[in-house]
Amino acid sequence: MSAPGLPELALGAAAAWALLALALLALRTRAWGRRTLHAPPAGDAAAGARYAFTKGMLPQAKESVRTHLLSYAAGVVFHTGVFAAFGLLAASLAGVAPGSAPVRIGGAVAVAGALAGLGLLGKRVASPVLRGLSSPDDYVANLLTTSFATLAAVATFLPAAREAWLVAGAALLLYVPVGKIRHCLLFFPARYELGRFLGRRGTFPPAAGREA
Amino acid sequence: MTVPAPAALESRIAALTDADLARGFDAFRSKLSAAEVSYLGACVRCGLCAESCHYFKASPELENVPARKLDHVAAAFRRHATTAGRLLPGLVGARSFDREMVRAWVDAVFGRCSLCGRCSINCTVGIALPRVFRAARAALASMGLVPDDLQATVDNSLAHGNNMAITKADWVETVQWLEEELQAETGDPEARIPLDKKGAKYLFTVNPREPKFFPLSLQASAKVFWAAKEDWTLSSDPGWDLTNYGLFSCNDEQAGAITRNLVDAMERLECETLVIGECGHGYGAARWEGPEWLRGSYPFPVRSVLELMDEYLATGRIAVDPSRNPKAVTLHDPCNLVRHGGVREPQRRVLRRAASTFVEMAPHGEESFCCGGGGGQLAMAAYKDRRIASGGVKAKQIRETGAPVVVAPCHNCIDQLMELNKEYKLGVQIRTVAEVLADAIVPGPREEGGACPRP
Repeated sequence: MSAPGLPELALGAAAAWALLALALLALRTRAWGRRTLHAPPAGDAAAGARYAFTKGMLPQAKESVRTHLLSYAAGVVFHTGVFAAFGLLAASLAGVAPGSAPVRIGGAVAVAGALAGLGLLGKRVASPVLRGLSSPDDYVANLLTTSFATLAAVATFLPAAREAWLVAGAALLLYVPVGKIRHCLLFFPARYELGRFLGRRGTFPPAAGREA
Repeated sequence: MTVPAPAALESRIAALTDADLARGFDAFRSKLSAAEVSYLGACVRCGLCAESCHYFKASPELENVPARKLDHVAAAFRRHATTAGRLLPGLVGARSFDREMVRAWVDAVFGRCSLCGRCSINCTVGIALPRVFRAARAALASMGLVPDDLQATVDNSLAHGNNMAITKADWVETVQWLEEELQAETGDPEARIPLDKKGAKYLFTVNPREPKFFPLSLQASAKVFWAAKEDWTLSSDPGWDLTNYGLFSCNDEQAGAITRNLVDAMERLECETLVIGECGHGYGAARWEGPEWLRGSYPFPVRSVLELMDEYLATGRIAVDPSRNPKAVTLHDPCNLVRHGGVREPQRRVLRRAASTFVEMAPHGEESFCCGGGGGQLAMAAYKDRRIASGGVKAKQIRETGAPVVVAPCHNCIDQLMELNKEYKLGVQIRTVAEVLADAIVPGPREEGGACPRP
């Protein structure tokens, strides 16, 4: 294996930064503490949390998703594509041959993710409400992840694109703890706490057959 | 876009000093735990929450999107409590907690939100927005920025023991009058509406709107207890009013003081269980938030009267004839009772037994839309137009059921529904669960002399 070049070193440094900063974010968030509750529970907080991470995320449990299935699907594909791009990155750094079947499949998923990301970006630009909701962070975060997924796919058949892909990965990782991509961490405690809150109150999970 | 606050608040906002602002933000921070901090950092502004909000559905503008309301609060948090917000405010949308921001908070959390929580269950991330908005309201409360009419309701409770400043003499007289009415209705001269009965099993609490405007509602509850031969009582002193607008002003100290009335009444009368009448926020305040405000568990259980009614029917303590309610009924789900309270099925079981036809609204239960009257909106005149407009969503739901009777186990919701009935020309009758049940009751055999023995 040859010595790592500048793009690999930049990527490694960015990954270390992202991991360290996210770990710090997790610790700082945790440091705000958990409220001690005195009202006796009416339901099971743990069951509520389990529901929140499973059925509670499906279209049948969410009107917002049922009525925006295309956006929901685009979001799922976008996230899957980004994860696939990170998988390809790990494979590339591990020396897996670009032409292998798993890499090609990963590339296809990354392409789909990139297209979904572009679609969501287009929606954000086109919708006055979404435009109004957005800060520069929303555009930067999308462009970084979409570029990363796109270059991941391109690099599977165009080795010359690999360096650009690594640089895009480094830029993305540098940005992860700064802006909205922090939700890759905060999503978990947020959803967990919502599930526990409504579980304790007997709202989550809805009793069998009660789902809308 | 900055929306001016109600006039009385606007002058107070203009007079805020930097020290006031710092105190307000400290109050906000003091209400945050790791859960709320996660919520504040997790929104991806996907906008899918928009149509889950009745304000947005009625008026699809940016400021009505739940994520936008959250962002006003989160932007200040980012600016003052995150490194990225301090170093790169323009990039991450961080904004200072200044007078403009205070205006935005007032408009977002008092003027455009009923704390119904429908956005929470529809959030793709899972952000409990009302928990954050309650912290924001608490910050505004600490700066004296609770709308005056909402605060007046709290002040009434603190000064008089009930939110409508009803005197003890008027309350007792009303109860005695209703007892006579109950005796006339049931034909049972022994029928009672007990006051201050020490050691009763249940201390029953009501919304002051009942003695003031809807006495037949209280009489209906009393008839249910009479038919079930229940051992219950009301309190003549503070502790009979179940409402607590501290839940909406978010001054936890004042909310705790109002809750203390209930606890003191329970101790004074040595009752076993505190029963909350038909009221969404009253149930939420007493059952869920009260112990947190008082920082300790109650030495007694709290139940909704809906659960008791359901039990009476399930165990055969009350017999009903649904043909006595021949018109189709539909049910409104108060947010604080159902989505935030977990009491969803008892009222449905009661109505299925007590009415000939029960029709669900679509959607209902946890996904039900707020009527628009929650979150203290009924007490804030400055936002009346928005309240009535946002209630259009509920009015449409009601109309689509085709039911001529709307049941709402909450007197705040009933007030709003009555306004919607008039505004949207629904032509429906609005009732409590107890009123429907009371009409369906088939009196069972009673002991000699009509006495109501303790079961």
